[in-house]
Amino acid sequence: MNCSDCQEKLDSYLDRELSNTEMLELQLHLEGCPPCADNYEFQASVKRLVKVCCEQDRAPEAFREKLRQILC
Amino acid sequence: MAESPAQTAFAEEALTHLDTLYRGALRLTRDPDSAQDLVQEAYLRALRYQHSYQAGTNMKAWLFAIMRNLFWDRFKGSRKEDVSLDDVGEFILFDKLRDEGARPEADVLDKLAASEVVAAVEKLPPLHREVVLLVDVEGFSYKDAAQTLGVPIGTVMSRLHRARQQLQKSLYDYAVESGIVRGNGTREVPQQ
Repeated sequence: MNCSDCQEKLDSYLDRELSNTEMLELQLHLEGCPPCADNYEFQASVKRLVKVCCEQDRAPEAFREKLRQILC
Repeated sequence: MAESPAQTAFAEEALTHLDTLYRGALRLTRDPDSAQDLVQEAYLRALRYQHSYQAGTNMKAWLFAIMRNLFWDRFKGSRKEDVSLDDVGEFILFDKLRDEGARPEADVLDKLAASEVVAAVEKLPPLHREVVLLVDVEGFSYKDAAQTLGVPIGTVMSRLHRARQQLQKSLYDYAVESGIVRGNGTREVPQQ
């Protein structure tokens, strides 16, 4: 695997959507290629950041109770 | 109101996914009141069509699909509306920051305000926004996201890729505007 292949499959690797063989191939490339490894770590950080920031919202308790009254 | 213990149990289980639905609705409508209306309508519809849910399958995905279909039907009026995404080309924030000498690159992320990250997500067109919500925020697999959105897995992948690029472009623009990085090829502004 070269850097271009790695770049192409990075989203799927990040999302754990590759086959075991492909995951291993990409992992081996990352272990031997610091620039790609740095890029991967950065992309993973962006993904985590988006998750953490967007997960802060929770349904208001009053709304939860209202739905419980309506539905249950 | 549930009419049987089975319906009550179904409603109780469905309500365990309320935060996911509310977050999704909030990001799609960008308005708390509209989000609550959308979620309530989605739950009422889910209860009405409870028979179409197959026990043991992904209830969160089923509920999200009901909610986003309602969004497109009622809040947007047309599925064709607002689907365009600015063509940012192959924008890779990591490369951009590295080129501009902002190292370590991840430090820039630490300086971004959470509200700006959310704003960058909300700036995405809804069709791209919902993929980010499902995969990046709620952790759906590509397959579950594809089923929820009613599109092929390849469409999920391409929308996700473009959405991430647009998102990173928005974050970069914000970082430049707020002085976290300079957009002229010089170094990152030191933290005060």
